[in-house]
Amino acid sequence: MNASNGPMPRPPVQAPPLVTPLQTAPASGTVHPTMISVRGLDFHYGSAQALKDISIDLPARQVTGMIGPSGCGKSTLLRVLNRMYDLYPGQRATGEVLLDGENIIGPHVDSNQLRSRIGMVFQKPTPFPMSIADNIAFGVRLHERLSRADMADRIEDALRRVALWNEVKDRLKSGATALSGGQQQRLCIARTIATRPEVILLDEPTSALDPISTARVEELLDELKRDFTIAIVTHNLQQAARCADRVAFFFMGELVEVDSADRIFTAPKQKRTQDYITGRFG
Amino acid sequence: MSTHASGGAASAAAGARAGWGDPAFAGLARLCGLLVLLLMGGIIAVMLYGGRLAFSTFGIGFLTRSVWNPVLEHYAALAPVYGTLVTSAIGVVIAVPLAFGVAFFLTEMAPGWLSGPLGTAVELLAAVPSIIFGMWGFFVIVPIMARDVQPALIHSLGHVPLLHPFFSGAPFGTGLLTGGLILAVMITPFIAAVMRDVFNAMPPVFKESAYGLGSTRWDVMRKVVLPWSRTAVIGGIMLGLGRALGETMAITFVIGNSNRISPSLFSPGNTIASLIALEFPESAAGSLKLSSLLALGFILMVISLITLACSRLLLRTGQTVRR
Repeated sequence: MNASNGPMPRPPVQAPPLVTPLQTAPASGTVHPTMISVRGLDFHYGSAQALKDISIDLPARQVTGMIGPSGCGKSTLLRVLNRMYDLYPGQRATGEVLLDGENIIGPHVDSNQLRSRIGMVFQKPTPFPMSIADNIAFGVRLHERLSRADMADRIEDALRRVALWNEVKDRLKSGATALSGGQQQRLCIARTIATRPEVILLDEPTSALDPISTARVEELLDELKRDFTIAIVTHNLQQAARCADRVAFFFMGELVEVDSADRIFTAPKQKRTQDYITGRFG
Repeated sequence: MSTHASGGAASAAAGARAGWGDPAFAGLARLCGLLVLLLMGGIIAVMLYGGRLAFSTFGIGFLTRSVWNPVLEHYAALAPVYGTLVTSAIGVVIAVPLAFGVAFFLTEMAPGWLSGPLGTAVELLAAVPSIIFGMWGFFVIVPIMARDVQPALIHSLGHVPLLHPFFSGAPFGTGLLTGGLILAVMITPFIAAVMRDVFNAMPPVFKESAYGLGSTRWDVMRKVVLPWSRTAVIGGIMLGLGRALGETMAITFVIGNSNRISPSLFSPGNTIASLIALEFPESAAGSLKLSSLLALGFILMVISLITLACSRLLLRTGQTVRR
């Protein structure tokens, strides 16, 4: 697989600033079935409405990038998809979010179980205060009983997939907080994929990382989308252009436009999208 | 002093900015700081000096014997030290799980409209004067202990082989167990408030990460929040213990006032603080008894200072580890 030994830093920004992704999906991406379907979603923080009538499909095994100025609601949408908003009183979502035909924001959904199917990676790396191996095992133990050997395999597999194995295989028992920021973030991604979710949500996963670490996480996304459906919120338009198959532009709680990445960055239909990607605001 | 001179010179040279205010305030603040040290050292010195007669008369026996006989003028500290340590230990053992439950509920489970008022109630409970707890303990808890709790314990645990010495004797209602119970009620809100603050200090994104993997609240608390805040929690418990060690009024009401050491938790006992409170008015100036009480005070201060120092140490190492 991607057992490319040793780090191979490549320049994070490629020569033409707005490159189109390799797989240019045809017309409306019909090749990929829909994994998550959002229909008429409204979201409120108390009395403030953060999302207005959002409808969007996340195609399976594709990377959907979400862009837009701060406070436009893109992160909020991620937090709806795994019901993270449940933790906070006064936040409520109405509408439909369908996963396998089931409305996951409905009242009878087990949010713990849901979150094992929809993993999340945050802006800041969040290693738990325990060993590297235990960090990976943490999520797995919540849902599965594995033998010692199986768990070791699962940990190795997860770490290999984020290309961290060669860097940490000799110190799996030592604390995770001693890793560098980039390593910590890849550990958090490994921790998420170790529970074998179907969807991975990434909320600005590289905004706290240096350019080389950022490039490695971006490479990783290309690997991961073979097996997972990915949604990534980013403030970095070039990152969206590099990594995403489809891009959604949000503005003031509305979904302005969603299309294939090359179309959004070369020929957006909406003037507001055009203004944003050319840097006229935001 | 020199502040006047330098202040005057500065204002003459630099004009509006300087003046004598800054150095005067700095001097005043420094004085206040020194005053604390002075008070602390003074109190310890007075206790030690006042207790010198007892220490010199009884020597090391003052710490190792349990006699307290005003007629023969034989005094020793072991019985009240034992009572102090046992009641405080009972108090902490009961209070810690209770306080954890309160803090867990407040930080992770309580809905928004409840957690605010409940948090305030916890803080208010921590501020109830101890004499109130004393009277409440005497009129409410002691009868309940005598009528229900102690007979029940005697009938159940009183027959368990290893435990039976601790749960035997006459159910008077007063005694070490009741004292420990009152202490538990008093320090629970205190420890709970500390725990709540510590749990709340955890960056939410860590909790969210754990929830994001499908953890339940209990998983998050046990595997992420508690390990992260372990040292601070222990520090909070130690502060509660410090309070329990020095508590006087509430204990005096329910402890039973007897200077004997008996394994039974129902037997009346004494703590250092309750013994001093009771005997002090009947001690003549310059007497060996008064000196013994002051020596007891010195011992209590040493125990409290050790506890406090331990908690400070734990709280500090907790912070440095986290940075």
